[in-house]
Amino acid sequence: MDISTRTRDRVTILAFAGSLDSNTSPAAQQAVDETLKGGATKVVVDCTALDYISSAGLRVLLGAAKKLGGAGASGGFRLFGLNQTVGEVFDISGFSKILAVFNTEAEALKGF
Amino acid sequence: MHPPAKGGKGGHIVAQMRPSFRMTIGTDPTQVAGVSRAFAAFAEAHKVPAAVRRSVSVALDELLSNSCAYGSAAEVSIDVELQADRLSVTLSDDGKPFNPLDLVAPDTGVPIDQRPIGGLGIHLTRQIMDEVAYQRRAGRNVITLAKLLP
Repeated sequence: MDISTRTRDRVTILAFAGSLDSNTSPAAQQAVDETLKGGATKVVVDCTALDYISSAGLRVLLGAAKKLGGAGASGGFRLFGLNQTVGEVFDISGFSKILAVFNTEAEALKGF
Repeated sequence: MHPPAKGGKGGHIVAQMRPSFRMTIGTDPTQVAGVSRAFAAFAEAHKVPAAVRRSVSVALDELLSNSCAYGSAAEVSIDVELQADRLSVTLSDDGKPFNPLDLVAPDTGVPIDQRPIGGLGIHLTRQIMDEVAYQRRAGRNVITLAKLLP
């Protein structure tokens, strides 16, 4: 998996490319930890190149969401660009209901 | 010269070779990544639809990482076969009798701050696959999975 970070205004965008699974989740966790340690309060995860995610990857996202305040209006964690399989995994696990998921980057950044 | 006969008298029944592969790994978690890579290469070589490949990849990661983390097995074998209408996977290990499908599905409706982290893998596997079954067979735990082709 490849992980890249960029910032737009005061929002940190983390892009995960490839699979987020038991093998790659430690690297993803490290990227999230470093982002939060750097003082980021608003984080968007770009999933447009994310191939699939398993529960190990969901755990990383849930941890970040908890630290950043979840999906509520004041929450600091958003995602966008899920493919069909990642969307299905989000639906099955209930993450679609508890995380702020958007279709595009523009929608994810709007009003954030 | 006779024309090729299909099961007729005196003819040969030629079994259609189905694309398949087999791997056996130990239960060191780093070996799960090798299975993921081998399966991705197999899926690409045989033009498995992306949605099927992704779903099966999720199930493999869940079940194999589960075996490595909690199981008592020393080795796990993975058999993958692409059939006319489905992709079938058989996982077999030599651990103590354990049916992971008995694990209770988590309550996915609870608020985010009250959710325990983890416990989702088996639930995901059951939902994302079309068939999931467990058998204790010849001293091994055998899980069969199938995802129907679109």
